[in-house]
Amino acid sequence: MDAPVVDVRALRKVYRVTERETGLAATFRSFVKRRYREVLAVDGITFHIDPGEVVGFLGPNGAGKTTTLKMLSGLLYPTGGEATVLGHVPWRREGSFLRGMTLLMGNRSQLVWDIPAADSFLVLKEIYAVPAAQYKRTLDELTELLELQPLLHKPVRGLSLGERMKVEFAAGLLHSPGVAFLDEPTLGLDISMQGRIRRFVAEYNQRTGATILLTSHYMDDVVALCRRVIVIHRGVLLYDGGLADLAARMAPYKRITVTLRASVGDLSSFGEVISNNENVVTIHVPRTQAAERTARLVRELGDQLSDISVEDPPIEEVIDKVFASERPLAEATA
Amino acid sequence: MIRYLRMFRAFASSEFQFEMEYRGNFYLSIFEMFLVIGTSIGAVLIMFGHTTTMNGWTLPQMIVLLGVYYLIQGGVNLVFSPSFERLMEHVRVGTLDFHLLKPVNVQFLVSTRHLRVVRSADLVLGLIVVIVGLLQVGDQVGVAQALLFSVSLLFGVALVYSLLLGLVTLSFWFVRVENLLAIFWAFTEAGRFPVDVYPLWLRVSLSTIVPIGIAVTAPANAIAGRMDWIGVALLGAGTVLSVVIASALWRKGLKSYTGASA
Amino acid sequence: MIRIYRQLLVAQIQAAAQYRIQAVLWMLFSIIRPVIFLAAWTAVANAQGGSVGGYTTSDFAAYYIALTIVGHLNTAWNSFEFEFEVRQGRLSPKLLRPLHPLHYSVVENLIWKVTTFLPLMLVCVVIALTFQVKWNAEWWHLALFVPSMILAAALNFMIGWVTATATFWLQRINTVNTLLQRTSFIFAGQIAPLSLMPTALQVISYSLPFAYALAIPAEILRGGVTVERGLLYLVGQAVWLAVAIVAYRFAWRAGLREYSAVGA
Repeated sequence: MDAPVVDVRALRKVYRVTERETGLAATFRSFVKRRYREVLAVDGITFHIDPGEVVGFLGPNGAGKTTTLKMLSGLLYPTGGEATVLGHVPWRREGSFLRGMTLLMGNRSQLVWDIPAADSFLVLKEIYAVPAAQYKRTLDELTELLELQPLLHKPVRGLSLGERMKVEFAAGLLHSPGVAFLDEPTLGLDISMQGRIRRFVAEYNQRTGATILLTSHYMDDVVALCRRVIVIHRGVLLYDGGLADLAARMAPYKRITVTLRASVGDLSSFGEVISNNENVVTIHVPRTQAAERTARLVRELGDQLSDISVEDPPIEEVIDKVFASERPLAEATA
Repeated sequence: MIRYLRMFRAFASSEFQFEMEYRGNFYLSIFEMFLVIGTSIGAVLIMFGHTTTMNGWTLPQMIVLLGVYYLIQGGVNLVFSPSFERLMEHVRVGTLDFHLLKPVNVQFLVSTRHLRVVRSADLVLGLIVVIVGLLQVGDQVGVAQALLFSVSLLFGVALVYSLLLGLVTLSFWFVRVENLLAIFWAFTEAGRFPVDVYPLWLRVSLSTIVPIGIAVTAPANAIAGRMDWIGVALLGAGTVLSVVIASALWRKGLKSYTGASA
Repeated sequence: MIRIYRQLLVAQIQAAAQYRIQAVLWMLFSIIRPVIFLAAWTAVANAQGGSVGGYTTSDFAAYYIALTIVGHLNTAWNSFEFEFEVRQGRLSPKLLRPLHPLHYSVVENLIWKVTTFLPLMLVCVVIALTFQVKWNAEWWHLALFVPSMILAAALNFMIGWVTATATFWLQRINTVNTLLQRTSFIFAGQIAPLSLMPTALQVISYSLPFAYALAIPAEILRGGVTVERGLLYLVGQAVWLAVAIVAYRFAWRAGLREYSAVGA
């Protein structure tokens, strides 16, 4: 069994934030003396990631996802705990560590806006000391995967958000890192661009075997890319395991949606009625009995039944339940 | 070392390409420099229209001093100022993180990443003014003097660099510090006159806290034959100390940033 | 409008409170250059036995201290700020609001001047003591000075706005700013009191607006003018202010058209 690529133990981060009150009197007071408040961003989290995995890091805003990623990429040093990435302590910022990993931030741009991306790439090539042959190979591959050809020679400021995101991705991967931290990579993109980025990430992982840890609050990102998901809320890990397992444990029910020709009265004998809206009724039934209940519904409703569908609960519902629970779930076996 | 040179060449090349995109601004900048130097010489001429010496400095000697002033300014504005200006934006906006992700010394990146290649014209113009001044002075410039001049010039640039670095590091603690650069430039104005015309308190600060005074006057003195090796050695010691302190402050600032960025 | 200004004031004071030290530091900016030239002219005067062209060393001190005060009170940095905002894309949201971006600038400007006035006076006292100043001003000089200063500040502000609009076409107006600064440097009375300049340059100075924002109020403050001259100067300032406002109106409208054509 390979050593984990990312190994995190009891990692902790506390911020000091200046306190600002409203009102004119408070403003003058702050001219003289400032007040501080401590914010606990990450409260002792532990997990590890094996080579080649694509792991989703889920949590609402302010949960501690970005803080964790920053610590793992060496941008922040923690208040407590330990972590190693690729065998290095990230915040020591050793050369070989920095050359082996990348951090992409969805809402921030590292490229110089006034010059074409291709020029920025050349500078990055020198900074990472990428040999010319390898650079050409990597660039060609990325250009193909991301359809960059028309974008490379225009100033970055002239690109649309989606195009800029693609170019930023390429910039972050020019040095072929073994680990990629992606912080909200599809933020603000339209649906089709989101899909393209997701496909790219999946392909990249397959082709290069790079380990990927991605944060998002778009459920679709995680569902499309990650078999394993880590849920964080208020700086604490609530769940670490397979996405499917999570659904099975948090939401051990199936959702049956019934469309009726006319109202048939109360259906609660079939299961928990969640909504009843103009003859479209949604019922939650225990998983194990889903087939049986469905059959019963078909039989007993007869030709009052216009349509019926049986689905897993939407993943958002599952995750919301996890957030609401606020207690860590016992770790599922991987 | 080679790697750092190659990186620098890549920086320069990409910046130059960018500047060439805005050719209008490029030529304007050169014209502007002619204007700036011309008006400064004009100011000196106006003053010397009323006298023949100022604190013992004759007109040609003043011209040389002015040339050195623009030499140092040109050098600093070529590389350090544009890079540091961007740094302050980075700290303000949060994009400094990207520099921290690179496998390169961050101080180097932050000091040299951006150039204003057109400023090399300033260097050239400054040198021309120095030469013109020297011709007026009429002395022969010996090898020793030329050497002293070059060495003290390098020290001067390093001194100014360390001041800039120190100032810019403050942006870690006081976020909107871009105006400090404006103050810096205002202070460097003092370099246009020999440091000895200023009242004592100013003279001292211009040789220590804001060392532009000594940075400019020393080479001018050197080439006028008024400085010896001891003086230059003292200057060198001060410069080294200054660079060390500024770099230490920078590291402290970076540590604070990586403890607190959100 | 008063209510809007009051709200802006509160908001800006709050913002300014965050950057208090830097505000004071920037004040130092306005005093450096006058001090430098004062030292130089003092050296020149001393080399000539104590006075030059009718100015004794303490006259120079008075002139340059007046220049310092005026230079501080007429400061306008809106052209730099504007370019930055446009580059950061912060202009567009402002344009969407029913309040002209200019007003934010006015409030910011005023607050800075008010908060840094006291430290400025302190520094002026230091300079006055160092250079042994002798003040010649009468009470009516000061009475003339008040409107003169207001006109000067407004004039500089409007010049700043006209310059700022160049951003719409050039994006980076660094050169334009410097060009204006250098012209102001020669012709606004910084290098030397206007009467000490060669005649040709004096004529140009009086034909350009810059001296009307700096040297002229300074001369009034230090008591170097007669009543008639003083009033004439005020008229000159008012005329230039009117010109600046008209120029700004044109430039702003044209600039906005260009801006929305190129893309926000």
